[in-house]
Amino acid sequence: MISLTVNGVAREVASSPDTPLLYVLRNDLGLTGPQFGCGLAQCGACSVLVDGREMRSCVTPASMAVGHEVTTLEGLPQRWAAKHGAAGAAGPQDLHPVQQAWIEEQTPLCGFCQNGMMIKATELLETTPAPSTDQIKAAFTTGGPSPHLCRCGSYTAIIDAVHRAAALMKA
Amino acid sequence: MLQTADRDIHGATLSRRFLLRGAGALTVGFGLVGGLAGCVNPPAATVASKLASSWIKVGPDGTVAVHTGNSDFGQGTVFTAYRQIVADELYTTIEAITTVVTGDTDRTPDGGGSYALLFMGSPNIRKAAAYTYQALLDLAAQKLGAPRSAVTAEDGVFRGGGRSIGYGDLVRDQALSLTIPVQDMGPMGLRISGDPPTKPVSAYKYVGQSFDNTATAARVTARADWITDVRLPGMLHARMVRPRTLGSTLVSAGTVDKARFPGAQVVVKGNLVAVVSPNEWEAIQAAQSVADGTRWTDWKGLPGHERLPEALRGNDWAATPVSHEGFFGAPPQAADAPDRARRAIAGAARTLKASYFMPYLKHAPIGPTIAVADVRPDGTTTVHAHNQNAQLLRRAIATMLGTAPDNVVVRSYAGPGHYGRSNGGVSGAEDEAVILSKELGKPVRVQWMRDEDIQWSTQQAAAYSDIEIGLDAQGRMVGYQADHFMPAMGDTRPIGAVLAGLPTIPAPAPSTDPSAPTVNRLWDDWIYGSVKDVSQTGHGGSQIGQAASPLKVGLRDQSMRTPGQFQQNFPREAAINEAAALAGADPLAFRLAHATDPRVKGVLEAVRDASGWQTRPTPAHGAGQGDVLRGRGVSNLYREASYWSCVAEVAVTRSTGVVKVERITLAVDPGIVINPKQLKRQVEGGVTMGVSQALFEEVRFDESGVTSRDWSSYPILTMADLPEIKVVLLHKPEIGVYGSGSEAANALPAAAIVGALHDATGVFARRLPLTPAYVAPLLST
Repeated sequence: MISLTVNGVAREVASSPDTPLLYVLRNDLGLTGPQFGCGLAQCGACSVLVDGREMRSCVTPASMAVGHEVTTLEGLPQRWAAKHGAAGAAGPQDLHPVQQAWIEEQTPLCGFCQNGMMIKATELLETTPAPSTDQIKAAFTTGGPSPHLCRCGSYTAIIDAVHRAAALMKA
Repeated sequence: MLQTADRDIHGATLSRRFLLRGAGALTVGFGLVGGLAGCVNPPAATVASKLASSWIKVGPDGTVAVHTGNSDFGQGTVFTAYRQIVADELYTTIEAITTVVTGDTDRTPDGGGSYALLFMGSPNIRKAAAYTYQALLDLAAQKLGAPRSAVTAEDGVFRGGGRSIGYGDLVRDQALSLTIPVQDMGPMGLRISGDPPTKPVSAYKYVGQSFDNTATAARVTARADWITDVRLPGMLHARMVRPRTLGSTLVSAGTVDKARFPGAQVVVKGNLVAVVSPNEWEAIQAAQSVADGTRWTDWKGLPGHERLPEALRGNDWAATPVSHEGFFGAPPQAADAPDRARRAIAGAARTLKASYFMPYLKHAPIGPTIAVADVRPDGTTTVHAHNQNAQLLRRAIATMLGTAPDNVVVRSYAGPGHYGRSNGGVSGAEDEAVILSKELGKPVRVQWMRDEDIQWSTQQAAAYSDIEIGLDAQGRMVGYQADHFMPAMGDTRPIGAVLAGLPTIPAPAPSTDPSAPTVNRLWDDWIYGSVKDVSQTGHGGSQIGQAASPLKVGLRDQSMRTPGQFQQNFPREAAINEAAALAGADPLAFRLAHATDPRVKGVLEAVRDASGWQTRPTPAHGAGQGDVLRGRGVSNLYREASYWSCVAEVAVTRSTGVVKVERITLAVDPGIVINPKQLKRQVEGGVTMGVSQALFEEVRFDESGVTSRDWSSYPILTMADLPEIKVVLLHKPEIGVYGSGSEAANALPAAAIVGALHDATGVFARRLPLTPAYVAPLLST
């Protein structure tokens, strides 16, 4: 039995402790934001925040998340609300400003990689509220275990959306 | 129930029954009027199995449901352009289009694959809506007691004779059925025939405006119906154990260590080996353990990627008839064209003779192929999939099971982009999930791992072209001759069925039949109209390794974004760049001087102006000096009623051979731009993939199989390498046609980048990708 805190809620799961967090989140907890892309920490599709830091859930044993705060894509709106309260709401209450920006910029093409992109954007904007385009490129390329990969070619739209999210979060 | 006489609606038939109060709808069904003869690889299909459900349904509350056999793979078209087209043709609001159902074989008509969403595909949705509007107009005229010509519609309300009625009220309490004429186009699906009156382009309210994709919000909030989320009661997770090489047969399968993996089980069928478990992580670990204990025969029968350019020349090209036929409706070239081109080049003042090579490329979806299958005891089968051609998948599964397509249902979900990989109806996991579900009597979910998805999937066919261009004394092109060589690119055999020894459609093999699946057509229409003596020949052949492999798999090829045309346009445009240099001309002005079609000229002028292009000969003055050299190049393409032109600006580091693309400017004239915001995003995406293909991508393989296995051995472009991308959309409503916009953008950067490399350094590259390992030696010679 593993005890985890995911999106602010204490959860108990029966999986073995060496199970990668991705399978625990998807199969035991029904959290389908993180996606399986490579299983090798090479693409970023499975990313989650652990204590606010981007982690690749496909190679992170669930036991390593014990005692830490895990946030998935599903938990982003709540994460924003918890930090900023209703006064900090940038858009509809059920969206984090990053998600709002992703919609306004029409960023996803197929959308499969965008979980990791939004997780990375959230991590970046929590520490760097107004990143330059170069800072965004660096964060998504060398700011983690591997570059965040998009095969549809949405990088331009991601950069536009990070800038927009920064503006929404400031407003 | 009262039934009234059928009414003719511009060749369609409207029938009407009155119902009890409250319900009612107008639905659109089909009557078959003809078909496509001689389609490629006709699978065992019945037309009846294609005739599922309605294309458009108008409900008693005035809302409209659109059912399309096409699925979404990131183009967004079915959620954006299709809604706009239907709203306009129906004279209703875009908000009234509340439902879009895609790619479910029991709920949507056969729309062909998700490769012809616009241009070839859009007449369907446009005509379906136009017929529906005419039927509604007919009903409204009766109801309002006014002649049709005196009835108008706007925002879902008809007005005439001083009265008005909403669409919902028109259909309420009735079962209205409109039967419209269709043709069966084989793998391209059903095509609606006839010519119902369509809305004048000048009257469009939604087409031409930017609207958000209605699927986006769900995809950024983890609420989308992803294929990865499908869970069925009692479902088992499966992972496959692959043969050691592309020609290995099974000697003995490993066993599960029940102490370590109590829930896991091995399934063997022919050369198909799988491990299943109710627990996904157990299935993954147990499959790895079983793989370690599984013995395969050895096999070597591939040339290896380093020897590919030479080996490809030795392929069996002579066994397949050559082709002079275009694909997009261009007439076949005249019989004397090869002779005329040869004579023109022989008599030219200067000639260019060059060969160009493109390696195998991977579709490389970000998520590997995945499917969930449920084969019931009575044989009925449901496949939950993410597939570009649900109807062809359905028929491939039926063929494999030896059953009628009517016993198979394919349901479609969101998933990673496929870029053509599943055009032929299989992306990889679907047939394996079916085989295992049938074997085990339970629903089975098969997900490939990253290495399998690169090593066992299909890929874009490698290709080479031999090109000759003749210039007259004034430096004008007088003759062009191209021979394009490419192995078959339509291998749609399900790999699991092949490994298990189950029935599939045949592998592509040469035959004397001019429609043989190995034929390589002319995919790239000639667009330099002032050059009259032009000859192009398509040479097709077998897939590399297929005949020698005991498994008959080899390097399997499938269409990939801008299929066939990328392989022919890159060499042509690279050669035009070289011809311009030979003529001492500016490569953009050189193209303008040879173009006659105003729309070809229009996109060239648009990229020239938007990129700040300075007209001058190439290479740049001072080329070859300093360590970082800059240059610019241009390319041009026509596809599916869309005109494209691209300017690339690069920085080349001499000491390392690193080519950095700094800026891409791309102009597209698709006729009508349906949704500028979405088209811009599609074009940016295509350009990004194209730069990736030009700089980084090449399938590595040895004598036994593909050795690329992850994102470090099949690298794609990262955000750090992203150029600035400037997109120019040329909206030409007067053309009246929706050209295709999501494809083609990827095919343009490579030739423009090669032109820019030459402009910067004076060196011509004649193969892709432009890796430092290839470019650095070029620069030092």
